[in-house]
Amino acid sequence: MEIRPILSALLRSKVSMILIGLQVALTLAIVCNALFIIGQRFERMQRPSGMNETDTFAVSSVGFGEGFDVRAVQAADLALLRRLPGVVAATSINSTPLSGSGWSSGVQLTAEQKTQSANAAFYMVDDHGLDALGAKLIAGRNFLPTEVGIRTLDETVAPASIIISQALAKSLFPGESAVGKQIYIDDPQTTPKATIVGVVERLQTPWVNDGYADIENSLIQPQMLVIGTASQYLIRAEPGRRDEVMKAVETQLAAANPSRIVGKLRDMEAQRRDAYANDRAMAIILGAVIIALLAITALGIVGMASFWVAQRTRQIGTRRALGATRGDILRYFQTENFIITTLGLILGSILAYALSLWMMQAYQSPRLPWHYVPIGFLCLWALGQIAVLGPALRASRVPPAVATRTL
Amino acid sequence: MLKMTHLQKVYRTHLIETYALRDFSINVAEGEFVAVTGPSGSGKTTFLNIAGLLEEFTGGSYLLDGVDVHGLDDNGRSRLRNEKIGFIFQGFNLIPDLNLFDNVDVPLRYRGYGAAERKRRIEEALGRVGLSSRMKHYPSELSGGQQQRVAIARALAGSPRLLLADEPTGNLDSLMARGVMELLEEINGQGTTIVMVTHDPELAARAHRNVHVIDGQVTDFDAESSPRHVDAGAPVAAIS
Amino acid sequence: MFAYYLQLGLRSLRRNPVLTALMVAGIALGIAASMTTLTVMHLMGSDPIPWKSDRLHYVQLDNWGPDQPYSEDGRPPDQVTYRDATALMAAGKADKQTAMFKVVLPVQPENTQLKPFRALGRATYADFFSMFEPPFKYGAAWNRDQDAGHARVIVLGKELNEKLFGGQDSSGRTVRMDGIDYRIVGVLDDWNLRIKYYDLTVGAFSSADEFYMPFTSGVDLKRRSSGNNSCWKSPGDGWDAYLQSDCVWIQMWAELDTPARLADYRSFLDSYVNEQKKLGRFARPLNNRLLDVNQWMRDQKVVSRDVQVQTGLAFAFLLVCLINTVGLLLAKFTRKSGEIGLRRALGASRREVFTQFFIESGVIGLSGGVLGLMLTALGLMTVRALYTSYKTVAHLDWAMVAATVVLAVVSALLAGLYPTWRACRVQPAAQLKL
Repeated sequence: MEIRPILSALLRSKVSMILIGLQVALTLAIVCNALFIIGQRFERMQRPSGMNETDTFAVSSVGFGEGFDVRAVQAADLALLRRLPGVVAATSINSTPLSGSGWSSGVQLTAEQKTQSANAAFYMVDDHGLDALGAKLIAGRNFLPTEVGIRTLDETVAPASIIISQALAKSLFPGESAVGKQIYIDDPQTTPKATIVGVVERLQTPWVNDGYADIENSLIQPQMLVIGTASQYLIRAEPGRRDEVMKAVETQLAAANPSRIVGKLRDMEAQRRDAYANDRAMAIILGAVIIALLAITALGIVGMASFWVAQRTRQIGTRRALGATRGDILRYFQTENFIITTLGLILGSILAYALSLWMMQAYQSPRLPWHYVPIGFLCLWALGQIAVLGPALRASRVPPAVATRTL
Repeated sequence: MLKMTHLQKVYRTHLIETYALRDFSINVAEGEFVAVTGPSGSGKTTFLNIAGLLEEFTGGSYLLDGVDVHGLDDNGRSRLRNEKIGFIFQGFNLIPDLNLFDNVDVPLRYRGYGAAERKRRIEEALGRVGLSSRMKHYPSELSGGQQQRVAIARALAGSPRLLLADEPTGNLDSLMARGVMELLEEINGQGTTIVMVTHDPELAARAHRNVHVIDGQVTDFDAESSPRHVDAGAPVAAIS
Repeated sequence: MFAYYLQLGLRSLRRNPVLTALMVAGIALGIAASMTTLTVMHLMGSDPIPWKSDRLHYVQLDNWGPDQPYSEDGRPPDQVTYRDATALMAAGKADKQTAMFKVVLPVQPENTQLKPFRALGRATYADFFSMFEPPFKYGAAWNRDQDAGHARVIVLGKELNEKLFGGQDSSGRTVRMDGIDYRIVGVLDDWNLRIKYYDLTVGAFSSADEFYMPFTSGVDLKRRSSGNNSCWKSPGDGWDAYLQSDCVWIQMWAELDTPARLADYRSFLDSYVNEQKKLGRFARPLNNRLLDVNQWMRDQKVVSRDVQVQTGLAFAFLLVCLINTVGLLLAKFTRKSGEIGLRRALGASRREVFTQFFIESGVIGLSGGVLGLMLTALGLMTVRALYTSYKTVAHLDWAMVAATVVLAVVSALLAGLYPTWRACRVQPAAQLKL
């Protein structure tokens, strides 16, 4: 097609071209970076917790008044929970993945070292813990009922056996099997080493937000944590029976002991939604901005192209009189749009990388992967062609007799 | 070259029918220089539009260089127009955003010539109208007469058999008009058939033959000036 | 003349409804996006207590371990130890001061119709109320003597008072929490706290405290804080060991009414830490901080990265919308060059043509602003739905309403500037056919 004459004609009406080109450029820069952020958020949201989320839920209880025997209540509660129909497993637990609050501490391989070997989230469960979590044991064994101890804040009782996540195993013992190895998980001066008896494939820490590194470094201890009169349980129901089991648990726990408050039951799917609510909100807002931006740009192209067609009606008629077919006129406007869009896109790709560079500096975000820009090119080319089609078709229908009309 | 027989053009709205041309017959032989005259609203422009395939007609027949144009589709008419007809408009109709070279180039592009061929033809056409030195200029930098010369060069570049001119000097002062007229005569002298619509009697007098149109009909023709190359008998304009 | 131009503008806008709608919608969308995000950012970052934010200072001391810093960027811990908090309270070197921590207690209502429930509160000192100035509905705060005397007194938030006593004046009555009766000394009124700036360690937008009790009686419960607790070494066994440990879990504020007092307090903190160093604590170099309310909010990144990115993108979007409007106005005004030439030929001056088209741009901006305002309200509703914790900061106030309309009109006028300038350069009668 006749690119050079179109280009030279365009250069004679710079402002309109610059306006559309700028719009396309800014759109490309914003859309690429926003899409990249959305992609990152989706990636984060896709990360597996390593536990069964569909069938599990957590419930907390806090007793009040004098004479509340939390240990007895815990034992009775667990017995009750395990008896309930539809319950696969129930455990006492200090915190759950995705909850945002929990216990983390450094672990070390030797007593002499001054810095920690790794940081890990501590989960305290009983011998039903792995089962309730639905965590997959890939080496070693589960806790034995006899290994389960009591942990209070008043006395540090180090567990003899622990189970760790594969990620933690790899960072502590790269290239080796962790099972059977011993590590310090408390103050090395006052507590002995614990032996790793098993490794689970994956278990996320309770913290999924940015800023928390080593999200899969977890350590499981066979202990029932007692802080004041509070306790927390994690329950796994048979597939499909979670909601029904949740109702039963809520009423039965409350009935079992009147001098305590049963907290709100939280299923793990809701927990995941809450944990990633900000990421989802960001993705939705950016998505809306992208759509609005594309719509505005498309409407801008429609508006400008309509104006150009109206302004050049006589010229179109003359071209038709000189032998241009309708197709020639259609292609003229399509080519013109393609040229403007392409010029805008070239500027836009520079802007896109500049914006990415700025975000890297200001927010430590990762570099924009190269393929976002070419994909953006394709999308905006398509958008431009779709937007210009209406005005271009209108142009092609300008009758050639317009040429001889006296204005 | 151009033969219209009992041609009819009706504009219909839901209330009224307006005849722009009724029973319009004309025969222009190859090499003729015909002036079509008549008052405003007589149907001159409609005749020109139909002759130039810019509009369709509603009845009768039209042979352009032996081709029956009735029933040609839009693309076919565009192609025929591009190959056989050169246009000269009253308002020049140069494209303001293109320089002279690119303006003359427009019909050649649609003809599908290669770059070298186009360049040769553009230079030759602009040379013929005496504007070779101004190829990179834009229309707004030229006088009206020069602009019309460019339009003539554009019309000539594709070597059309028929040149249709619509009041070619209507927007020009008399000095410039004379120049343009001389150019047209020269082109006709080289063999191109010219049909010119005008209401300027002085201009019309310089044509070989005048056709007078009133109310969409040919009312008389000037038998005195006989065409130079015409070998057929006198063109016919019949009255219904 | 203004009325005439306004009339002309309106008529002209009515003549191409599609183009007008495009321009108005473009401005409205751009305005709505930027005002929605700007409102959230503005309310998040705005000074919660402007009349004294420069006098309230958050106290940070660096008691972290010798081998590892608390934070890689050198910031000291965001809370202090019990030992240091009580020592600073006892010294009383500031004009007002309070240490505090978050507590969650089971409430056992007198009214047996109500089931026991958990309430979220704050253990703090009497100065809290005069420092952060919550409004009282009934009664008043407890006093410093009651702090010293471990008094079992309590101030209820408005909501908890509604729940327990139906909003009646409950001062003088008692409320039972975890088996202990507390005498109610005061009830707060609505405390319009957008940001819980006095405790940013558990989230700037977390729910308001339901009750307040003396720090001393809070510690008597021997319950760990429900907020964050960080230790660089094991605290050891038992409650007393925990209180003496280097674990940080208490927020400490000092009100310092003059720069001189601030300087004094700074040197007091330095000498306190140096004293402690002699006792073998504070192994790290001196790293005390006294940030005022706004500095502390910036330090804790109350305005999140996401909100900043969203606001930036929204303004880029507004820019695109404006460029769009420039283009469309240019198209519209160019099409009217015939009219302009005629007006000029009939005696309109350049300035008059300029005014006429400038007013037309303004009309578009005003319509865009009004529509944008509605869309902004819609946008804020969406933000409230998406970010449940931003309920308090996703609201339009009068300042923002005015800002929206002004931004829209200014944007449209800005967008109209170039097209208008072009319009008034049309030569008189240049477009007229002779």
